[in-house]
Amino acid sequence: MSIGASSAVTASPAELLGLSPDRAFVAISRLTALVVLIVVLSFMSPYFLTWANLVNILRHAAPLFVMSVGLTIVVLTAGIDLSVGAVLGLCACLAASLISTGQPELGVLAALGAGLACGLVNGILVAYARIPAFIATYGMLWIANGLAYVFMSGEVIYGLPASFRVIGTGMLGPVPVPVVIMLVLLAALAVVMQRTPFGRGVYAIGGNPVAARLSGMPVERRLIGVYVLSGLMVAIASLIVIARTNAADVSLGEEQLLPAIAAVCLGGTSLFGGVGGVAGTAVGAIILAVVLNGMNLIGVKTFWQAGVLGLIILLSVLADQLVARRINRPSP
Amino acid sequence: MTISRRGFAAGSLAIAGAVGTGLLPLAGPARAQAKKRIAFFVKNVTNPFWKACRIGAEKAAKELGVDLQVVAPTKPDNIEEQTRLVEDWIVKKPDAFVFVPVDYKALVPSIQKANKAGIPVINYNNKMTGIDKVTFIGSDDAHFEYEMCKYLFKSMGGKGDVVHIDGVPAAITAQMRKKGFEKAVAEFPGIKVLASQPGMYRRLPAQQVFENLMQRFPKIDAVVSANDDMAVGIVEALHAAGRGGKTKVVGIDGIPDAIQAIAAGKMFATVDFSGHDQSYLAVQAAVRHLKGEKVPPEILLPVFIIDKGNVATVAKTPEERKPPSWDKVVSK
Amino acid sequence: MTMAADTGARTERGASLRRLADAPGAVYLLAVLSIGLTLLTPNFFSVENLTNVALQVAVLVIVALGMTLVILTEGIDLSLGPVLGLCGVVMGMLVVSGTPLWLAIAAAVLIGAAFGAANGLLVAYVALPPFIVTLSTFGIAQSLATMLTEGNSITGLPSYVRWFNEGRLIGLPIPLWATAIAFAVTYLLLYHTRFGRYTFAIGGNRRALELSGSNARLFHVLVYVYAGVLTALASFIMTARMNAAHPTIGVGLEFDAIAAVILGGTSFEKGRGGIAGTLIGALAVGVLRNGLNLMGVSTEWQVAIVGLIIIAAVGLDSMRGRNS
Repeated sequence: MSIGASSAVTASPAELLGLSPDRAFVAISRLTALVVLIVVLSFMSPYFLTWANLVNILRHAAPLFVMSVGLTIVVLTAGIDLSVGAVLGLCACLAASLISTGQPELGVLAALGAGLACGLVNGILVAYARIPAFIATYGMLWIANGLAYVFMSGEVIYGLPASFRVIGTGMLGPVPVPVVIMLVLLAALAVVMQRTPFGRGVYAIGGNPVAARLSGMPVERRLIGVYVLSGLMVAIASLIVIARTNAADVSLGEEQLLPAIAAVCLGGTSLFGGVGGVAGTAVGAIILAVVLNGMNLIGVKTFWQAGVLGLIILLSVLADQLVARRINRPSP
Repeated sequence: MTISRRGFAAGSLAIAGAVGTGLLPLAGPARAQAKKRIAFFVKNVTNPFWKACRIGAEKAAKELGVDLQVVAPTKPDNIEEQTRLVEDWIVKKPDAFVFVPVDYKALVPSIQKANKAGIPVINYNNKMTGIDKVTFIGSDDAHFEYEMCKYLFKSMGGKGDVVHIDGVPAAITAQMRKKGFEKAVAEFPGIKVLASQPGMYRRLPAQQVFENLMQRFPKIDAVVSANDDMAVGIVEALHAAGRGGKTKVVGIDGIPDAIQAIAAGKMFATVDFSGHDQSYLAVQAAVRHLKGEKVPPEILLPVFIIDKGNVATVAKTPEERKPPSWDKVVSK
Repeated sequence: MTMAADTGARTERGASLRRLADAPGAVYLLAVLSIGLTLLTPNFFSVENLTNVALQVAVLVIVALGMTLVILTEGIDLSLGPVLGLCGVVMGMLVVSGTPLWLAIAAAVLIGAAFGAANGLLVAYVALPPFIVTLSTFGIAQSLATMLTEGNSITGLPSYVRWFNEGRLIGLPIPLWATAIAFAVTYLLLYHTRFGRYTFAIGGNRRALELSGSNARLFHVLVYVYAGVLTALASFIMTARMNAAHPTIGVGLEFDAIAAVILGGTSFEKGRGGIAGTLIGALAVGVLRNGLNLMGVSTEWQVAIVGLIIIAAVGLDSMRGRNS
């Protein structure tokens, strides 16, 4: 399945060729890392390179990608969204409560509505109230958690109809439905980011906010759009997750932030903004899923997960930075 | 400039004041004069186990006419925050603490402070040592898991391949449950343990770990999960992989979700680890102690295994559950 | 009274009013909370409870002091929470195995400094984003702490450790002394040394600083090292307070510290702010939590209210043009 991933990145070879040398390094290094990981793990565990396990890995990568892709766009504007995990928990609870009582359409709408609302508030706080994104979305993390706690009051909702669970567990031919959702979103967002004023605006805001403003771009409205998009993506991710677990409680979003940011960084998007893209995040999510799957297959203790995630993030940004520096010398 | 700043200052004061007064209606009921006040601690407001505890405690409080206030950290299971909660509640001087520590060792100094302040402490669920307590009320985790596993292994004819999914490795309940599991395994030479990995007591991590383990082990005869939430997640994973019905899954707790899975024939059995009963009896013990009655130093609940045979007789929610009889449990 | 004196007094009053209006949101929050809670609850304004609050925020203040310096350099240090846990665990394990206390504390300080140095080097010399660097070290410190202990608490500390939480010196509990000393030292460093001038300048105008050929990067690293060292010392107070070391005790503390710093009026940009505001910010966070408990607000609502108040207080500041 690494083929599907690489085709996503090399979707437009011209674009790859047109990349600056340091961006080309990012793309090539990630794909190399993925291939090396797959080869090494195949030798370490006989169960790794089986069709069932590869499908399993992609199934894990899909919700991670959907959650991180909106975050990627936020990061491209040099912002951050710390509330992704908490909003995921809130959307999951609202959706599950309606879906389990036989109103799947309303449930999906409720998740999307909640994601949109949280994103909208984040966007307004960042764009108009000029609150640093870090603080605004951190406050939203608490608010979303609090609302979910109040709404659920310690309850777990379970038993979702099979018709809904298809989006988490179903197969479309040989491909799991969540992976189809992932590919569709990836294609759509890649087009949006490359071909529309919105996408170009995102890169401009992240690259040089002053110039973006001077050029007459509606920076505030773009920013709000970006955070709303992040909220919506998180809402979709929440639907995939509850379809898979067949249950929702407020803890669903716990400890999702580190993997989400790891996927973004692994995908080569710079936290300084303006550099990177959504295709990279797809590869990042797949690499992460491979690593976590490999750790389980070889039997590494769960304790190491946070540390391994940290190391992977660090190594990837470090390599990018050192290479970029060498290529772009003399650097200031 | 000065005026507008002053205006903002006044505005901020007004808003801060509004927030302050806005809290008023959210505050708990005013202190009742004659009623005894009991501070009832739980580990979080996110897990249904603690909701069942809350319901059990509230039933007892209502029957006995005491004022019960539920105390929980905002960050689930956070040691430092529970320490602060204990300190804040010592200041409020309730008539008794009905207490469960989020960490059975780390909270000892805090409870010693409560001892020093002369507040009687009834310890439930996780046993603490090194403190003065009126009594401990709980279920013996090691014994429960031992009985559960014995029942399972006997049903398998004493042989087969078993996967163990651990809870949070640091939690005392998880350590005791693992001990019970290991004791039972030692008694059945035909039982082979394929793997033991933590699932953090939560459905999503457990499900992911198990999905990966399924790739490694094409044949798994039984899964022993350290709680029901994870057990149900494992059942979901088995069914999603088309391996449902071939693997016997057992948990502990007796949450509604598990009871439904057992009734549907998807899950093999669980053991009733009733937070509802523990907390109901704990509040009873507190009131009896305050009335000057003698309370035994330790009260342990009996083992009750729920399987397909008796699942119909089990109450589905803690609300419907009939409270245990004090005399029956204590005279046991 | 002459005219001149009158206008003089008026402008003075104007100036102090302006200073008050310029004060960060935390000042108002703290004032409103304190007055409100004194009126609304019988227990808030008592020596017992106020000592309580002071002890509860001691660790937060010490960590937030270091965080202030880091944020003044336009940085952030997410690793401080898990590093606190790791330092505490190592110190606890050493003390339990019979190592003298001073040596155990030295080991903890070394670990704090090492993490600070790693963070600082990657930020200052490799020019990686502080958020990502410290998020990575966050994960690494957390894993190390849980691996060392298998997730368990370290208990059975010698009884003298507890004195560092409960003992008093001239009537003041030891943690408050530690906080006061940490504040005084940081104050001297920040406002009376080259280290302090660089800290402000790195955030304010790094380019100019680097172009001038000075060793700004070295000072930049030292800021992170200092935050790590303070965190190691805070871990000792925390360990004494819990009479145990726990690997995950610090998780989440980094965000509380950042909230305290920002509430205290320090800006993420341009090296503006200071440690007096942080002290008030941390107190406001502590009083808010204590007050919500005393008023018996249910946990579910407490969670949402904390978020609202952080946004409201910071939002007011930024609308007044402090953070723009």
